[in-house]
Amino acid sequence: MPVVGIIEYGAGNLDSVARAVEYCGGKPIVTESPKDLKKVNHIILPGVGSFAVGMKNLRTRGYEEELHAQVKVKKLPFLGICLGMQFLAALGTESAKTPGLNWINGRVTRLIPSSPDEKVPHIGWNNVEPAKKSALLDGIEAGKDFYFVHSYHFVVNDQSDILSTTPYCGGFTSAVARENIFGVQFHPEKSQKAGFQILKSFLAL
Amino acid sequence: MLKLRIMPTMLYKDLTLVKGVGFDSWRRVGSLMQQIKVYNLREVDELIVVDISATKEGRTPDFRLVDDFADECFMPLTVGGGINKIDDIRLLLQVGADKVVINTAAVETPKLISESAQLFGSQCIVASIDFKKHNAERYEVYTHSGTKPTGRDPVELAREVEACGAGEILLTSIDRDGTFSGYDIEMTRRVVDNVKIPVIASGGAGNYQHMVDVIKNSGASAVAAASLFHFTESTPKEAKKALKKHGIAVR
Amino acid sequence: MEPRYIRYCRRCVMPETKPDLKIDGDGICNACRSFESRKVVDWEKRKAEFKGILDRYRSNDNSNYDCMIPVSGGKDSTYQVVKLLELGYNPLCVTATTCQLSEIGRRNIENLKRLGVDYVEVTINPTVRAKVNRIGLREVGDISWPEHLTIFTIPPRIAVQFKIPLMIWGENSQNEYGGPAADAENSVLTRRWLEEFGGLLGLRVTDLLGQEGLSAKELIQFTYPTDDDLKRVGVTGIFMGYYFPWDGYQNALVAQAYGFETFPKAVEGSLVSYENIDNIQTGIHDYFKYLKFGFCRVTDLACLHLRRGRLTREQAIAIVKKRDGKFPWSYLGHPIQDVLKQIDIDLEEFIRICDRFTNKKIFKCDSRGNLLKDQNGNLSKINDDNID
Repeated sequence: MPVVGIIEYGAGNLDSVARAVEYCGGKPIVTESPKDLKKVNHIILPGVGSFAVGMKNLRTRGYEEELHAQVKVKKLPFLGICLGMQFLAALGTESAKTPGLNWINGRVTRLIPSSPDEKVPHIGWNNVEPAKKSALLDGIEAGKDFYFVHSYHFVVNDQSDILSTTPYCGGFTSAVARENIFGVQFHPEKSQKAGFQILKSFLAL
Repeated sequence: MLKLRIMPTMLYKDLTLVKGVGFDSWRRVGSLMQQIKVYNLREVDELIVVDISATKEGRTPDFRLVDDFADECFMPLTVGGGINKIDDIRLLLQVGADKVVINTAAVETPKLISESAQLFGSQCIVASIDFKKHNAERYEVYTHSGTKPTGRDPVELAREVEACGAGEILLTSIDRDGTFSGYDIEMTRRVVDNVKIPVIASGGAGNYQHMVDVIKNSGASAVAAASLFHFTESTPKEAKKALKKHGIAVR
Repeated sequence: MEPRYIRYCRRCVMPETKPDLKIDGDGICNACRSFESRKVVDWEKRKAEFKGILDRYRSNDNSNYDCMIPVSGGKDSTYQVVKLLELGYNPLCVTATTCQLSEIGRRNIENLKRLGVDYVEVTINPTVRAKVNRIGLREVGDISWPEHLTIFTIPPRIAVQFKIPLMIWGENSQNEYGGPAADAENSVLTRRWLEEFGGLLGLRVTDLLGQEGLSAKELIQFTYPTDDDLKRVGVTGIFMGYYFPWDGYQNALVAQAYGFETFPKAVEGSLVSYENIDNIQTGIHDYFKYLKFGFCRVTDLACLHLRRGRLTREQAIAIVKKRDGKFPWSYLGHPIQDVLKQIDIDLEEFIRICDRFTNKKIFKCDSRGNLLKDQNGNLSKINDDNID
């Protein structure tokens, strides 16, 4: 059974992610310190809230180094959810410019509506269009709806990192993938069947 | 494209699930857990659960209860009732809520909205505005579960909460609540026109046509309903079918 | 958080947690008020009305039945059949076979047939039935969900197929209502009417599709007839409880005189030996009502008898405390394993499901919020009577 480390860094609701992982056949471990990451074979970084506050918490609790070791060196499969995906960027521009983990080059900026009907925050179910093939999207038909709840999005520099896009606010990147590193802007743990499919595919890596 | 959401609403008061008419004459409807499980089975878009007696009784939210039913929800959950400080919100998010809905505090302590939006992100904060229509010119916001008049205008309050950082507005017509007579399209439209954040229309749904009407004529991003689902054979799935027929994008 | 206590009616022993119950300013519940304001009924007149309606619907040339009685073999349906035969009518009796029929239940069905009626038993595929029991238990905390549904779907389906428009029910919860057939315009039962009356809100049969591999072909009997079919035959119904003096105990006396058999002692989780003895899953069904609302069968029966002067309130409180809401280790002498095995759920999971549906606000919990249970797994309510 895949053991999944879910990083606790004071950024909101981990319970849903843990339950969803369990439902999908994984063993979730909510980390109490970076050391816990040594015992797992998959890592999920969830997150809601502020980029600046989140990165600060992540750093002060010492996760940056351990994450580098496990994900960049040891190459454990990594999934960032929502804010967790945004942390992959080089820079977040929410309140002040805050450096992210910088594993995938790009920056996080606010969604800009492309028509008066589009509201920000982007809240609700929207379609995810794959941009490249990936084991993470196995079994997911193009255009499937997932649940989004965010005001910022990740603008990647290298197009080849884009895993999927979503048509909103001019179109934004809804998932990224580079080798063992994955990020999804939507919440698979809240997207019911389709979401569970994504988690199952992640656990199978 | 972004789909319209249908959000069943559940209210609990004292010890059980209830539903009222015009925020009064509360009827006990049954088991909260059972209803949550049914909606979970039906994979609804989102669920709203509010403790309507908390603020009136000066209580904080019942975190244990939220924890229990959050365990049964594999869909987005918005929880409210009795929230008046940051720790309330933090704890609710921790035990499983995805968003919190703030009503009385939105009027009495708007700072709570700005502080929590900064800490947790706007997208978690839903400002709930309950209003009564006195006449065509005058609408008034009420707090404390519809019992305390505030003298505020809903549109003006909507703009204020948006400026404070609320991510969404849940707009409920007290007069129409539980009456099956349709949403207050006029006020919903006014609020939608005056803010840039999503607005959830609430209060009065009696059939699927009402949902179509409010969406087409007001620009609401979501519709909430309670009596419709508790007391008739209508289901969220059938509602979506009806909306789809009218060209509205649903999941 | 301030503890909030359960309020009880000052006259009977019903708690306020019962859906749709209202306790007024004097502390009396609406059911007691309803009972106290029962008008003196002219039963001869009502009987004449009843016969008038039946005569309107009966078969004129005896080529078909005069009416249909949905029956279970229990005391009430036995009484109904006795009455209808006494009045000279020719009913078709229809049973939607219950979830797990007990031996005594089978004997009572056979007894009913021998009263002298044609009888149709509609039995759902037992494998499908067990699946739906399981889904009902897990998803809505109601093991008897298929029972509640088929009681409302199967009789009208038969009514349509056999072209018998008039169904004769027993009691109705809205005491002052004769039924749609009594309306001047002879209203036909539509699905909407039955959903509101039948209280089938919550889980719907469409929710079952896809669950555990269930498909439409296995759920045929769970489907209510279309409004068109109902209209074509003119399916409608009346409640005997409106036209004849109706009391469960009284019905049991009559039924027993005609061969109805009771359980040798008061049934587990009940106060009496003469009702709910046909389905061994009933113990579990009743228990879940207790978990959700803090009262079940013993409270219901105690209130009923109390209102009729057979019990004092003090006695009722003591009896409820002694017997209501105990963990259903057995029912009609059958151990719980007999049911759990049938629906393929083990005891541990069953207990987890029980806890999930328990309204923790009304039961005693420890400081960590876990339910307090005695050595037999029984819960305790936070208060068994009014605090004042």
